[in-house]
Amino acid sequence: MSDQGHAPDFDYQPALPISNGKTFMWLFLSTEIMFFAALIGTYIVLRFGAISWPSTHDVHLAEIYGAVNTFVLICSSVTIVLALEAAKKNNSPLAKGWMVLTLVLGTVFLGIKMVEYDAKFSHGLYPQHPHSGIYEKPDVYYAQAVRLRLSELKVELLAITDRTAEQDKQLTVIDDISRELVAPAEEQLRNHPDSPLGRKLLWKLADEIYPRASVHENPGGGHTSARHPNPGYLLGSQDSAGRRDRSPFLLTGGEGDAGAEAHDSSGHVSGLNDQHHPWLKLPIMIPGGNMWASTYFLLTGFHALHVVIGLIAFVILLMMTLGRANAGVIENVGLYWHFVDLVWIFLFPLLYLF
Amino acid sequence: MSDSTHNDPHDSSDHHESHGSIGLYVGIFAALCVLTTFSFLTYFPFWRENVPVGVSRVFMMAVSCTKAMLVIMFFMHLKWEASWKWVLTVPASFMSALLIFALVPDVGLRMRHASHQRMIHAAEVPAEADSAQTAAEDDHSGETHEHEHE
Repeated sequence: MSDQGHAPDFDYQPALPISNGKTFMWLFLSTEIMFFAALIGTYIVLRFGAISWPSTHDVHLAEIYGAVNTFVLICSSVTIVLALEAAKKNNSPLAKGWMVLTLVLGTVFLGIKMVEYDAKFSHGLYPQHPHSGIYEKPDVYYAQAVRLRLSELKVELLAITDRTAEQDKQLTVIDDISRELVAPAEEQLRNHPDSPLGRKLLWKLADEIYPRASVHENPGGGHTSARHPNPGYLLGSQDSAGRRDRSPFLLTGGEGDAGAEAHDSSGHVSGLNDQHHPWLKLPIMIPGGNMWASTYFLLTGFHALHVVIGLIAFVILLMMTLGRANAGVIENVGLYWHFVDLVWIFLFPLLYLF
Repeated sequence: MSDSTHNDPHDSSDHHESHGSIGLYVGIFAALCVLTTFSFLTYFPFWRENVPVGVSRVFMMAVSCTKAMLVIMFFMHLKWEASWKWVLTVPASFMSALLIFALVPDVGLRMRHASHQRMIHAAEVPAEADSAQTAAEDDHSGETHEHEHE
């Protein structure tokens, strides 16, 4: 920089008047901006171009989790800023304290994310078959998938020689579903392919297995897709409470009696998959559900990956002395962490509230 | 490195030591929380019943942009940086905007018109009337659908 031996009056000018680390962090962040802009832009195209898109409650998204996570990330942004301020004042213990708090908050974010993912996975909402049980529409293929799943379960149960009472009950449930829902729909479709009744029965089958919240709650509410408002097939043709009373197999479910039409805490209606929770796992019908699952898991997954990388950086920082000498490193990690927060600021309304 | 007198002339950490006070950060934090509450308000029924979906979406995006600006300006210190900040942020924003605009034709084309092919793969509620007719017409395609053209 200063070569005083033979110094012409050149003043060395770095490209940017900031440290190399910070320059590269900002360069990296600008690539990240483009990366997430592309992902979010693609999500918007797919979401608003989709013929149908599930409402948040259709896919077991609870807004409160997203809001809490937003709050957690904002808090962690503040704590890392305070860590930087403490480091600038050469107060390493205080900086470490704030850094630990940031680490804890980041972990809380991931924990809430895991709870959310678990709610999706336990309902068969995966981005990809074979885990995913999502079908786009109730057609013959859907009925076939339900029938195959039922017979698979039945074969498994019949192979057991000494069945428990619980397993006998499961067999009854399977037989009831086959007899009352699947068989009538398939027979109707086979014998009267021109009649709309067969497809009505298919809608009913799908609705019994996985009642979508957008169909059952707040008719005409803002959450349903504008293109497909609430279908009137349930409200008009059949009274849903009476319909459930007529179905004897619903009463055999463990916790299904009171919860048949009851909404659980986050506004979901309980269907056959919920009433016979861990074992039944029938295919479910959510229009637009596969595209939703792909975009949701891609966006939140990439964001969660960034959170994990941030947490690793925090752990590395905690092994250093967080004094003034290392303030630059804290600043760079902080910049990255603020960016992670920034992405979530946009993801939260787009994924949870739109 | 633990020597606190070490002073890198290109280390900007000293330049804005006086800018961000704890009080300011707490204020920004409070503002961010209030703004998050604003966008969360759209979730409640009274909002959804009284505000058109489009309006609340624009509102949410405006709130998000405000929050993003607060984070960028104060937490990421861009407010106090020298003009190098434009070198790095403007091209990136420009490229991101370009990416988004490149997708706009897709959005515009797809939002107003769904092709026959896409309607075939969409879930539809069976219509009450003249589905028998349509079904008969569509029978050759192996499946039966109504095509709801709006």
